[in-house]
Amino acid sequence: MSQKSVVNESNQIQLAIELINLGARLQLLEAHTTLSRERLIKLYKELKGKSPPKGMLPFSTDWFLTWQPNIHASIFLNIYNFLLKNAGIEGIVAITKAYRLYLQQAEIESDEEPVLSLTRAWTLVRFVESNMLKTQSCKCCNGQFVVDAYDLNHDYVCNLCHVPSRAGKTKKAKEAAEKASALSA
Amino acid sequence: MTDSDMMMEIRDANLNYLMLAQQMIRADKATAIFRLGISKEIAELLEGLSNAQLIKLAVSNMMLARFRFEDSTILGMLTKYNKDKAISHATILMAGQPVEGFV
Repeated sequence: MSQKSVVNESNQIQLAIELINLGARLQLLEAHTTLSRERLIKLYKELKGKSPPKGMLPFSTDWFLTWQPNIHASIFLNIYNFLLKNAGIEGIVAITKAYRLYLQQAEIESDEEPVLSLTRAWTLVRFVESNMLKTQSCKCCNGQFVVDAYDLNHDYVCNLCHVPSRAGKTKKAKEAAEKASALSA
Repeated sequence: MTDSDMMMEIRDANLNYLMLAQQMIRADKATAIFRLGISKEIAELLEGLSNAQLIKLAVSNMMLARFRFEDSTILGMLTKYNKDKAISHATILMAGQPVEGFV
């Protein structure tokens, strides 16, 4: 049994606060801090003013393979891999730093809610570590993209070199375009 | 622009670059390594330089910061085709590039 240390505990609380502010769910907090569930729930309520969301985490790898999420997941994973390789950090520190960098990147493109949440990003890293997902280089641009480890990825062309025909044409995008044209008219 | 003007501009740019890089590294080393695209060794070296050393390094007739787009695909992507997703694409490709480091 490890000895109780006040300094260690304060570090853990700091980490938990950072993760909660970035939008982590309770499962992530439990996995990466040594604080008890009760204390984490208390902390969450204090910071967010509401109870943490209940229920299971999304557990399907398919989400990461659809068009827009795939691009965002690929951005995050590339940043994360870069940090692992070049900055000498790992674990949850690398995930949070990569996630912050990803958020800044995503902000440039739109000021809406980011596609990838911290919990999703963490799930993505776990999927890659357990060999369910992997990165594959696109034969057209040589960029590394998230793909299913068991798909046939021999002649892989990424979602950005070869954009699917209906990609990005959501109801939301249509409404935004109509709004913009109404404003300019 | 005369030659001496150009030298002055280069010196200014060098000093600006070095000071900004040092600040970034001191604030958050890992993030700075990503943003600058340099290796950890170079980051640590820059972090420890004194102001006098920075100025000495900046006074040169060559630019200290090098162009990061060695691959023409990335550069073409950022400048030529004007799609919404160009920035995402470039980010993915740039993060995949090797860092500038000691050989």
